[in-house]
Formats: sequence, structure tokens, C-alpha cells
Amino acid sequence: MKHLLWMAVFAALVAVVFGVSAKGGDRQRLVYGLKVFGEFIAIAFLLGWILYFIPFR
Amino acid sequence: MVANRVEKTGDIETPRRAWLIGLAAWAVPGLGHVLERRWLRAALMGGAVWIMFLTGLGLGGHLFAVTGKEQGFGVMLQLLPMIGNIGTGLLYIICWMANIGFVEKAQLVTYEYGNTFLLVAGLLNYLAMLDAFDIAAGRKP
Repeated sequence: MKHLLWMAVFAALVAVVFGVSAKGGDRQRLVYGLKVFGEFIAIAFLLGWILYFIPFR
Repeated sequence: MVANRVEKTGDIETPRRAWLIGLAAWAVPGLGHVLERRWLRAALMGGAVWIMFLTGLGLGGHLFAVTGKEQGFGVMLQLLPMIGNIGTGLLYIICWMANIGFVEKAQLVTYEYGNTFLLVAGLLNYLAMLDAFDIAAGRKP
């Protein structure tokens, strides 16, 4: 659970900087920041499940 | 038409103040935007970098430095992440002088998380620095 928490904290902080430095109006930048955050989480889950099924040992 | 536009923007001289604000933004995360009186941007961007850096240290992350003991291409394994770490400006320099974060704690479960947080804190501060520079140069509203 802690891994997920740190990943979410990381995604949130990066999304804040990306959102603030993006071009466009306030609403557009807010949507962009939320999109970046969502994409981080979604891709992490996707990669997590893919790696789960790959037998490394 | 595009060439015309590129040529025109190339004529604009960057004010000296913009370079100083860029330097301040690199040295202390958030300071560039504070000098520009962009309080919210300073709080959000600078705050994110500070939180990320301190969290990285708290998680037992490792700051990279070229020590001169590396052999051959081994130096690249230190140099590239060091460039990322240096993005945090004085935070990196103070840690280097106080020898904080330069000792590897690979036994910690959160060690790799810490490394990533520290690296990305530097990279995000480069982005914040460019943002402050662009605002000071009048290239961004």
C-alpha cells in the first residue's frame, strides 16, 4: 500500500508542475494537470498488472 | 510566413533581469516566481520541488556526484543523474557541503523511490526555472 501511496504522491507533484507550467487558461491547465495525474496512475496500474503475469523467476 | 515569424521573434533581446531571475529560480526553487510576484506559481511549483526533494531525502534517496574515482564510461552513470540532481540548485550544494544524502542506503525498501524523487525534483526545477525565465523575458503571460 505504501508503494501506491508514494507513487500517487510522485504523480501529484509532477502533475502540479506540469499543469502550472502548461499553456492556456486556468481551466485548461487544471484539466491538463488532472489528466497527467490520471495517466500516471493508470499507466502504473497497467504496467503493474503486465509485470505481475511475467514470470521473472 | 513561419520563417518570418521565427525571424521576428529572434530579434527580441532577452533582458538581463530575465537571466538573473532564471539563476535565482535555479538556486532556490520558487524564488524566480516570487521575484516575478507570481505568488501562486511560486507556491505550487516551488512547493512541489521542495516537497519532492525533502521527501526524497526522507525516503533515503541518494544524491549523485562525480568523485573522480569512476573508471571509463562509469563516469556517465554518475554524471547524468548528477546533472538532474544539480537542478535543485543550492539544496544540492548545501547537501554536498554537509554530506547529506550522499551516502547510499540501498538496504532501505524506499531507497529507489528516494532516488527517483530527488532526480525528478531537480528536473522539475529546471522546468520551473525555464518558466520563470520565460515570464521575465515576456515570452509567457
